[in-house]
Amino acid sequence: MKPVGALGHRRWPLAVLAVIGIGLVVAPLAFGMFSKAPDGASMMTSFSPFMTTHRLDGFQADMADVGNAVTQGQRAIHATGRTPAGARIVTHLAPQFGAFARQWRAVNSDMGGMLVTIKANLPNYQAVVALPSFRLFPWFFLIPGAILLLLAAAGLVRAAAWRGLRWVAVVIGVALVLAPVAFQMFSRAPKGARMMSTFKPIETLHHLRRIQSYFSDMAVGQGLVQLDLVPALRHSGLSASQIQDRYPALNTLDANWVHILNDMTPMIAAMSDNITNYQAISSLPSFRLFPWFFVLPGVIVIVIALLGDTRRRRGAADRGRSNVLNPVNQGVT
Amino acid sequence: MTNPFKLRLIAVTVAAMAIPMVATGPALAAQQLNGIFHIGAGSYIRMGLPNGGFFKNPYSKDANKTYTLIASGPGGGIRTNVVQNAPSPAFTAHGNSRANSIITPTNFTGILFGVITTVPPTFSLSGDTITGHLRHLYAQWNKQTFLQGNTVYGTYDSRNHHYVLSWHTTVQGGPFVGYIGYWRLQGTFSPS
Repeated sequence: MKPVGALGHRRWPLAVLAVIGIGLVVAPLAFGMFSKAPDGASMMTSFSPFMTTHRLDGFQADMADVGNAVTQGQRAIHATGRTPAGARIVTHLAPQFGAFARQWRAVNSDMGGMLVTIKANLPNYQAVVALPSFRLFPWFFLIPGAILLLLAAAGLVRAAAWRGLRWVAVVIGVALVLAPVAFQMFSRAPKGARMMSTFKPIETLHHLRRIQSYFSDMAVGQGLVQLDLVPALRHSGLSASQIQDRYPALNTLDANWVHILNDMTPMIAAMSDNITNYQAISSLPSFRLFPWFFVLPGVIVIVIALLGDTRRRRGAADRGRSNVLNPVNQGVT
Repeated sequence: MTNPFKLRLIAVTVAAMAIPMVATGPALAAQQLNGIFHIGAGSYIRMGLPNGGFFKNPYSKDANKTYTLIASGPGGGIRTNVVQNAPSPAFTAHGNSRANSIITPTNFTGILFGVITTVPPTFSLSGDTITGHLRHLYAQWNKQTFLQGNTVYGTYDSRNHHYVLSWHTTVQGGPFVGYIGYWRLQGTFSPS
């Protein structure tokens, strides 16, 4: 067994290869990817039931149900309050319902806007989902890195082996270059970065507290409609069918309320349960950089593997030329 | 101060401390309470909001809507040393809890919530003070389960078997994360 230097090899290509290998092995550890990537995968899984056009349309329909009930409820209180008898019945409701209507404007502005933003973000989310699971990403670095390290070590220990092993290094390099292309990371990763930016103001404890308070406002408002306003309208002389004809949104809200709760509370739970997951994944380097984390080392590995061999050949050719010019070097003594 | 006087002073002090301890010792020895805590009038849960104040449940039977009144279910209340888990399925299609052993499922914002235990609770009595290990009590609502148990404390009147228990637990995770459930149970205790 002869060391590399003895065969005329230069050690630096193998050293660079080893450095890249170490870099690829250390990167997921340094970035905490083994703990953060599964958190990201959990977040994506938790969001999946809600990140569909159908479900997001449903949330917007829920919001519209509440909004319509607020509008028609105010109209009902106003109309009923125009007669002295009706006024006696709904007067006490007017300030409570007015307060709810004001709260609703804030809720609708914030939550409605959030739903529009999330819906616009749907293609970005779907692009990230189409990538391999986040759980695999640390291994995408670690495995090729470990192989490169082994190749470099083998090349340093046994120079002759390097001639064959360098082609394995080339294959690893090509795989590193092609992986982002195969996974369409150059188009999907920037979308992932946009998704993370969109969720940034949403996935915070501060925002969660606001959404929780909106839920409380909406629950109180629904109670006002069902338990106070509709009975008051009945008491003012309106029949059930008249209420349905004049203010259908009041009954619609009542009929859909459980469905709205079934819809909304799991969404709030998903937001709540993924704040730490979002923070974990957002502390990783930007998604935009990830394709380059594969391509750049891949290109370097390919160049090193090929260049290392080229230099050896050039060295041999020089020695050949030198031998022609100086026969002594051919061993003729 | 002479030495004999010091010794007498120490002896008197020790005796003064020891005599009440010996006298009250047997009475303070904790005894296990085995039976059923029936959940009677005046029992409630309040949901404290993370930013202060309390959640108003429009469907509460109390005039103050921040108090949601609760009462024993067909199971009679909290049974010591017995798990009172959810039936299967735990919820109706609408998300109403079907767990009615501890409390009668009660309307919270339009959906019924129930209470279960997953580990047998134990209670001990020391004097008139109850300490209960009720850490595995959960509220179930809208197809979700919330840990609401804790170590609970209260009082017990052995003459009329009236008890009061209270505790609070912060909700971990889910839509009500950060809310604080303030529980108060009162009623009669039926020893087994």
